[in-house]
Amino acid sequence: MDLTTAIEMDSKKLLNLALQQGGDYADLYMQQTTFHSIVLRDGEVNAASTHNEGGLGIRVVSGQNTGYAYTESTLPRDREEAARTASYIAQGLIRRTKPAPIATLNLPDRYRIVRPWEGFSPQEKMPFLYDLNERIFSADKRVEKVTAQLSDATSHIECYNSLGIHCSDIRPMASLSVTCVMESGGQRESASASRSFRMGGEFLHSAMIRELAQEVLDRTSFLFGAKQPNGGEMPVVMAAGGSGILLHEAIGHAFEADFARKKVSIFSDKMGQRICNPGITVIDDGTIPCNRGALNVDDEGVPGQKTYMVTDGILTSFLHDRISAGYFHTEPTGNGRRESFRCMPLPRMRATYMDNGRDTEEALIASVKKGLYVDTFSNGQVQIGAGDFTFYVKSGYLIENGKLTQPIKDTNIIGNGPEALARITGVANNCIIDNGTWTCGKGQTCAVSCGMPSVLVASLTVGGRV
Amino acid sequence: MKQKDLLKQMCSYALEMSLKKGATHARVAATSNNANGMSVLNDSLETIEKAVDSSLTLHLFVEGRYGTCSTNKVDPSGLDKLLDDAIASVKLLAPDPFRKLVPKELRYEGPPLYSAHSGSVDTGVKKAFLLDCACAIWNKEPALISVMADYSDHRQWLHLADSDGLHCTSEETWYNYSVECTVRGKGDARPSDWDFQGGIHPWDIGIGSGLPCTCAATALERALAKRNPRKIVSGRYRVIVENRVAATLLAPLIDAMSGSSLQQQNSFLLDKLGENIASSVLTLIDDPRRKGTPGCRFFDSEGLATAKRAVIEAGRLNMYFLSTYYAEKMQMHPTISSPSLLLLKEGKGNAATLAGLIKNGIFVTGFNGGNCNTTTGDFSYGIEGFYVEHGQITYPINEMVMTGNMLDLWSRLLAAGDDALKTMSWQTPSLLFDDIEFSGL
Repeated sequence: MDLTTAIEMDSKKLLNLALQQGGDYADLYMQQTTFHSIVLRDGEVNAASTHNEGGLGIRVVSGQNTGYAYTESTLPRDREEAARTASYIAQGLIRRTKPAPIATLNLPDRYRIVRPWEGFSPQEKMPFLYDLNERIFSADKRVEKVTAQLSDATSHIECYNSLGIHCSDIRPMASLSVTCVMESGGQRESASASRSFRMGGEFLHSAMIRELAQEVLDRTSFLFGAKQPNGGEMPVVMAAGGSGILLHEAIGHAFEADFARKKVSIFSDKMGQRICNPGITVIDDGTIPCNRGALNVDDEGVPGQKTYMVTDGILTSFLHDRISAGYFHTEPTGNGRRESFRCMPLPRMRATYMDNGRDTEEALIASVKKGLYVDTFSNGQVQIGAGDFTFYVKSGYLIENGKLTQPIKDTNIIGNGPEALARITGVANNCIIDNGTWTCGKGQTCAVSCGMPSVLVASLTVGGRV
Repeated sequence: MKQKDLLKQMCSYALEMSLKKGATHARVAATSNNANGMSVLNDSLETIEKAVDSSLTLHLFVEGRYGTCSTNKVDPSGLDKLLDDAIASVKLLAPDPFRKLVPKELRYEGPPLYSAHSGSVDTGVKKAFLLDCACAIWNKEPALISVMADYSDHRQWLHLADSDGLHCTSEETWYNYSVECTVRGKGDARPSDWDFQGGIHPWDIGIGSGLPCTCAATALERALAKRNPRKIVSGRYRVIVENRVAATLLAPLIDAMSGSSLQQQNSFLLDKLGENIASSVLTLIDDPRRKGTPGCRFFDSEGLATAKRAVIEAGRLNMYFLSTYYAEKMQMHPTISSPSLLLLKEGKGNAATLAGLIKNGIFVTGFNGGNCNTTTGDFSYGIEGFYVEHGQITYPINEMVMTGNMLDLWSRLLAAGDDALKTMSWQTPSLLFDDIEFSGL
């Protein structure tokens, strides 16, 4: 008997066991994942890996408190032991909750798999990596090294909870990343590019390989003429696409409602208030087809949805899981996500982006006398309570008298979330969702994406030479 | 059957199956973990977690080709199918003549590593300990908004074996607790800070030792000190980097010494072996066999025996971190795939003592994001900390960025303190650097 069948048969028994000591809510989360990857290095695809794992996580919620345990075993005694462990959180309570009769949720399919990864052999995948390698080496004599990794994962999810909800989801994830090293006149530079979607084998096609090869070539070439900028406070034009990292770090994390519930977010008391200029709308969206952050259903049985966090400059919603939604007396927003069955769900972002404005990127650049234009990024971070956030810029340009001039690279930009939001003085009409391998860390990793139209932030602190 | 015997049996079975199904050679790592976690928010228990898991990872060498497979389903039928699929896939790859098992003369042959506590801690004891920690400060400081206290313990068994007769075993435990405080700052700001304790025994963190929990008071004091920060003018400053975050600056050096970076020409330490890459103040020792210390290990992930090595000696780069694979590719001798227990040679004093050497400078107590380009060594990190004036640590600063190049930075190391935290696997004291670029106002 496989794990899914076993859980279907005794989910009610496990939920009853989990709630035996009391509590408001319990859920079971079953996951079975298969992962494959192949690596091209030094001109050969000569390493492959396969990983499979599965298990069951059991959670009991009592007010804001959580008991959690998981097991990788399919034996009834081990699953029952996990339920008893999770139930500890409610020990001593008088409240008793009886699980409701189970009904299955009807869900949309935002990532229909055309060609399942199961059965897609390395032999079929390898030509794409060789093609990528060949395109990069043949385009530029400065290329010394290319490494590329193609990975795919397929997760089967089953969730049952004491509200009577059962849902299942099949989540694919495909990613291709490439790094190029070039050398010229003793100077060495490297850059990377990637694509990631919730797709099956249809993810792989020649047009994507051509696009990725050109992107990594352009990015690496660019660095030879670039230098670290002079530092200090200055206006920054953030290009459309990956600049969405600004939203993710500057406000997205601070809008995750577990932080607001614990009163540690700088935005904890700002619901319903104006936090940026009119015309600015910020969305966290689980409904974009095949997007890396798309979800048919979150990891606690709430349908994937589109959440308007900021509407026309007003803070209109935090990102909720079931616990924070209960605390704030609102509905969960489908943001209860977890890395795997080993972790309890937390409010997490999906695809976070800003709606289009009315400006053009050209006009935003032209309005800056002395500043910075930034277009590729690698990582970011935020201090939730202080509000200080940073993101690392891989490339961009100086702006001098309204024109892009000197290429720049490798600078960290720092700002304060509420202040930076209030300083967004121009939003262009060119929103792009970046489809790179964005991964968010909050104790657990989570696949996300981000997007942005070009925006002008009137002042941020740019790291650089002084 | 004891856990270590069970893991050895699993490895032997997996090796036998691998060879039977067509692998020429194989290496297997089997692990088993027990972990418990608990957290308290303010004055009540918030979460309790328990984890029991296992994993089996196989490295398969098939007709000159290489691949890996891993699973947490260690039953024979699941392993059978996994191996069939993995070996079939590996056979389709290009050959890689550099993939080999660890040479017998370099592998670990000694007794098992036992760096573990022999018992366990009752759930009620942990809960009482954590509540005591949080309640020591909760409701006692008007500016305190929240206190989060986290406890975790972890026990791991590992058995590593290969088809050439390698067998290595370890059993380790780790106990840890941390406290994070958030306080009211200026305007809407809610600065926070943390403190932690760790060790292989419960009494290392205070459980059963009769010693008071100090982390909560330290975390609160640090958070309060961060209120009302300012940004100061951009410029070049003498800087102290606090012991608990100094390893952030060490990490890019270690990355640049790794075989994967070097072989891919993606390292600013390429061709620098034997050269001076830092000030003579910097001596870095990898000392893996200090039992009872985090990072202690007798063998690495492929079975190479660890040994005490001077990684950097008085500023001179003495070694790269080379696994057998990258050593073969680079036609060098293998050393070890990665560092274990790094000790930066200490000098005298703590951060406050080092501040005495500063007329006008910055005391960095935390990094906020940033990165280092491994190819060029150029870096840029957000920082928080304090302004130092005439030898005194004064008001808090934030929203500033420290920028430069790693080789230049480490050449400016003036002094190291003697305050390295013994609960970290990279033990770095507070460090004093001269003339570093900071961007602010």
